[in-house]
Parts: sequence; structure tokens; C-alpha cells
Amino acid sequence: MKAIVIGAGLGGLLSAARLSKAGYAVEVFERLPITGGRFTNLEYEGFQLSSGAFHMFPHGPGGPLARLLEEVGADVQIVRSGQTALRVPLKKGSTDYGAGFRDIPFYDFPALLSNKDRLKTAFLIASTRKNRPAGSTLQAWIKTQVKDEWLVRLADSFCGWSLSLRSEEVPVEEVFEIIENLYRFGGPGVPMGGCKGVIDALEAVIAANGGIIRTKTEVSKILVENGKVTGVLVNGEEHEADQVISNIGHAATAGLCGEALSGEKYAGYLEMLETLQPSAGIKICLSAAEPLIGHSGVLLTPYAKRINGINEVTQVDPKLAPPGRHLTMSHQHVAPENVKDLEAEIELGLKDLKAIFPGKKYEVLLIQSYHDGWPVNRAASGTDPGNETPITGLYVVGDGAKGKGGIEVEGVALGVAATMKKILG
Amino acid sequence: MKINENCVGCGQCASFCKKGAIEVLGKARATDACIECGICAPYCPVRAIEVQV
Ligand SMILES: Cc1cc2nc3c(=O)[nH]c(=O)nc-3n(C[C@H](O)[C@H](O)[C@H](O)COP(=O)(O)OP(=O)(O)OC[C@H]3O[C@@H](n4cnc5c(N)ncnc54)[C@H](O)[C@@H]3O)c2cc1C
Ligand code: SF4
Ligand code: SF4
Repeated sequence: MKAIVIGAGLGGLLSAARLSKAGYAVEVFERLPITGGRFTNLEYEGFQLSSGAFHMFPHGPGGPLARLLEEVGADVQIVRSGQTALRVPLKKGSTDYGAGFRDIPFYDFPALLSNKDRLKTAFLIASTRKNRPAGSTLQAWIKTQVKDEWLVRLADSFCGWSLSLRSEEVPVEEVFEIIENLYRFGGPGVPMGGCKGVIDALEAVIAANGGIIRTKTEVSKILVENGKVTGVLVNGEEHEADQVISNIGHAATAGLCGEALSGEKYAGYLEMLETLQPSAGIKICLSAAEPLIGHSGVLLTPYAKRINGINEVTQVDPKLAPPGRHLTMSHQHVAPENVKDLEAEIELGLKDLKAIFPGKKYEVLLIQSYHDGWPVNRAASGTDPGNETPITGLYVVGDGAKGKGGIEVEGVALGVAATMKKILG
Repeated sequence: MKINENCVGCGQCASFCKKGAIEVLGKARATDACIECGICAPYCPVRAIEVQV
């Protein structure tokens, strides 16, 4: 059996590793000169920055991605991060960090509520595990339960950091699935060597299984006969395959199918694709001699104007920066209406950093923004349309087809695992 | 070398330019240090870099 994979991002390489392990002849085509897509290292002034991700697995060594890597035999060491911390103003009632702040552990968030709301929250934490709320956004649901703007701030910084969305954009069902996964798999972790540590390990598996990865090779068309995929077109040449796994999202995949998807039969699918919204974000990469965070946990910043959270990956792997330096990266969600004003959004982010790290010395290494064709997430969490397409033998993997409750690369892994089950049984 | 409207500002090109000739702020911009070598162009994930030949 022959499988062709379009795109050597994380989703494509995971699929290629799994299929080649199962005995498939696998060929991966990647348009860029490098593999890994939005999950690899970019070397910049001696630092291992990244093409996208924050060198972080949302569920660390216990999550779906770690599990899938182990299953395919990829040799990656994933180190669990320390406790996620919340930076909150010192004085109750202040809405910024100007007059001082303190950090509290994430699980202590109810401590900032009134006694009554604290009791209510404790009750909700217990009861919602059995009776999951549904049918609204996270923010709308919170507002029906507890009238305290702190919880909305907290929800926004958490959703902004982990999904690059606002709490009013995320279905409450998706959030409770995520919370359940946090109980199940635990919090984040950092792969040694950063994102590229994972990509290198996957490539080694694919090579050992006889799979082939071709970079600088773009797929220009997906070939379909009688509703079934037959291969792809590369540089005008036809390559036949029994299965085609596309790592480029549903919309771009449909684009490559061309007229094969025309006709009434496919109208519903194409209409659904129109509703998919990629999420946007800005990452600011900082270099500092003295640590800015000082621990390996994520620092969420609910009282910043734009920045949702920050991590310091050199607390886990010092090799991600030159000797004596730390690499600290902030993330901010960008609302769809602000994508046209990225410079203003970046300005607000830089201002936030001054307020979050007053008196600390750091340099801004690189500011990276992501939206539209190269986004944080191809399908906003909670809207993923699954891995199948109307074409037999053609599947979509990656962050345009994440599994339910899967934050970013964990969702990519869940989607790949589900696809492999469909193909391999 | 021209950077077109497709640019999202991801900075990928900047990490492959050996001349440090790209500044990124929401969008990439080539500085005077650019020698038009074209090395950066194929690394752009959204085909925003046009090299004149
Ligand atoms: C700023 C930012 C921060 C993030 N932080 C985190 C994080 O900390 N943790 C986390 O879990 N996730 C994070 N993510 C999300 C994560 O990076 C992505 O979800 C993941 O990398 C997506 O992988 P993918 O395989 O779906 O797609 P991609 O990485 O986009 O791979 C698709 C590949 O297909 C190639 N391609 C496209 N068209 C063609 C074609 N026609 N022919 C051949 N090849 C083609 C592309 O060049 C690309 O290499 C972050 C993303 C961003 C942008
Ligand atoms: S053309 Fe060459 S010098 Fe100019 S920005 Fe690109 S890589 Fe740098
Ligand atoms: S690689 Fe392309 S999209 Fe990214 S900053 Fe450079 S020109 Fe813009």
C-alpha cells in the first residue's frame, strides 16, 4: 500500500511515521526547504526561536502527542513544566500591574473571589465534571454563574494563551473537554531540543521505516477518479497512491481537488469550509541575562492589556539560548478586527511587557505574527470539521482537523490518531 | 527583492537571511543591507517574497 502525505508539518510527519511503521510505502511532499511547518526551530542570533509554537506540549509527557510519539518509536524527552502561575495586582480592585503585583499558583484562582463566589466556584468545579455545561460560549456561561470580572479575565488569558481565542469565542463544551483532559493528562511540558527535537525524531523513524521526505516539492493538485483519490500532481508528474493524507487544512485541500469537488453532492462540505476561521496571534521573543520568569511554568497575565501568557523555555533546556542567556516568549491573541493593525497590537504588547517586567533588563529579539494563511490555528478550537473529506481515501490532519478537547498540538495528535484508526483499523 | 501583501510577519525569512537584512514588525521589510541574493525567498510559507532576476 502506498500513502502520500502533503506537507511535512507535525501532523504530516506523525502520519508518515505511523503509516510507515504499519508497512505502508510513504512519501511526504513539502513545499518549503525545511520540514516541521509551524513546529520547528528557527535559529536567530544564536537562539532557537520557533517557526510557530512556544516549544511546548500542552499536556507534557502524559498527553496524546507524547503517547503517539512513543507509539511510533520517536525518541523525544519531554520535561513537565512547573506550576502555571497567575500574575495579579497587589491591591484588590486595581486593574493593571502599575502599583505592584504578586504571582499565585493557578489552582489558587478562587482565592481572589468573594466568599460566596468561592463557594459557588468550588461547587461548580465538582458538579461540572458530571454535568457538563453546553450550548453557549465560555464567557456567556461564566457570566450566568458568577458575576466577577476576575473569572472572565482569567478565562480570556487562558484561552488566549492556549487557543489564541477570547473566552467569548470558545464553545463552553470545548473548554470542559480541555479541563477534563487537564485532569487526565496533566499540564504542559517542553521537549528537549525544542520543537525541532520532535521533528528530528519523527524524521528518523520515517527514514528507518523506508519512508521518503521530499522538501522544496509542492503538490499542485490532488487527483481524484469516481470520488476516490488516486494520487497527486507534483511538478507536472503524477504520483499514484492508495491514500492521501493532507496536512494543509480542509480549505487548501479542497482547493487542490479543483473540479473534483464541484457539483451539488459537495456543496454542503464547501459551504462548511467557508465558516472556518483561523486564529491570529503575536509572539514576542525576549533575550535576558537574568531570568524574567524564574521558573519553568507558564506565567499567565490576566491583567495585561494584550499579552495572555509567557514562558521561559531555557528553564528546561538551556541550550535553546546561547550560554548565559534566557529565552522568554510572550503570546497575545489578536482579535479578527485587529489583524489589519498589527503594528498597534505589537506596540500594546511591548508596553505590557514593560509593566509585567518592570526594572528588568531584556532585549527584544524578534516579533513574529501569525494570521490567515500561516495562522496560530487553522480551525479555531471547537470548530474542527474532523479528518474525513467527501473524497474516499483523502484525509486531512493537522490543526485544521484537531480532535475534540485537544489544545493545539495535542489536538493535532488526537486527529492523527483518529485518522490512523480509520485507515489501519 | 520585494515583499508583497501576503506577508503575515512570521519572521521566518529573517532567520535565514545571512545579512541580517530583514526587519519584521507585523510585516517584513528589507533594509539597505539586502544584497538581493534571494536566499530568503523559498523559506516564506505564504509566498510573499518576490525576487527579481
Ligand atoms: C505563534 C504560535 C504559537 C504556538 N504555540 C504553540 C504551543 O506552544 N504549543 C502547541 O501545542 N501549539 C502551538 N502552536 C500551534 C502549533 O504550532 C500548530 O498547531 C502546529 O504546528 C500545526 O501543525 P500542522 O501539521 O497542522 O501544520 P503546519 O505546521 O502548517 O504544516 C503544514 C505544512 O504543509 C506545507 N504545505 C502547504 N501547502 C503545501 C503543498 N501544496 N505541497 C506541499 N507542502 C505544502 C507547509 O509548508 C507546511 O510545512 C502555536 C502556533 C503559533 C503560530
Ligand atoms: S535577498 Fe538575501 S540579503 Fe536580501 S533579505 Fe533575502 S536573504 Fe537577505
Ligand atoms: S517569511 Fe514571508 S510571511 Fe514570514 S515575515 Fe518573511 S516575508 Fe513575511
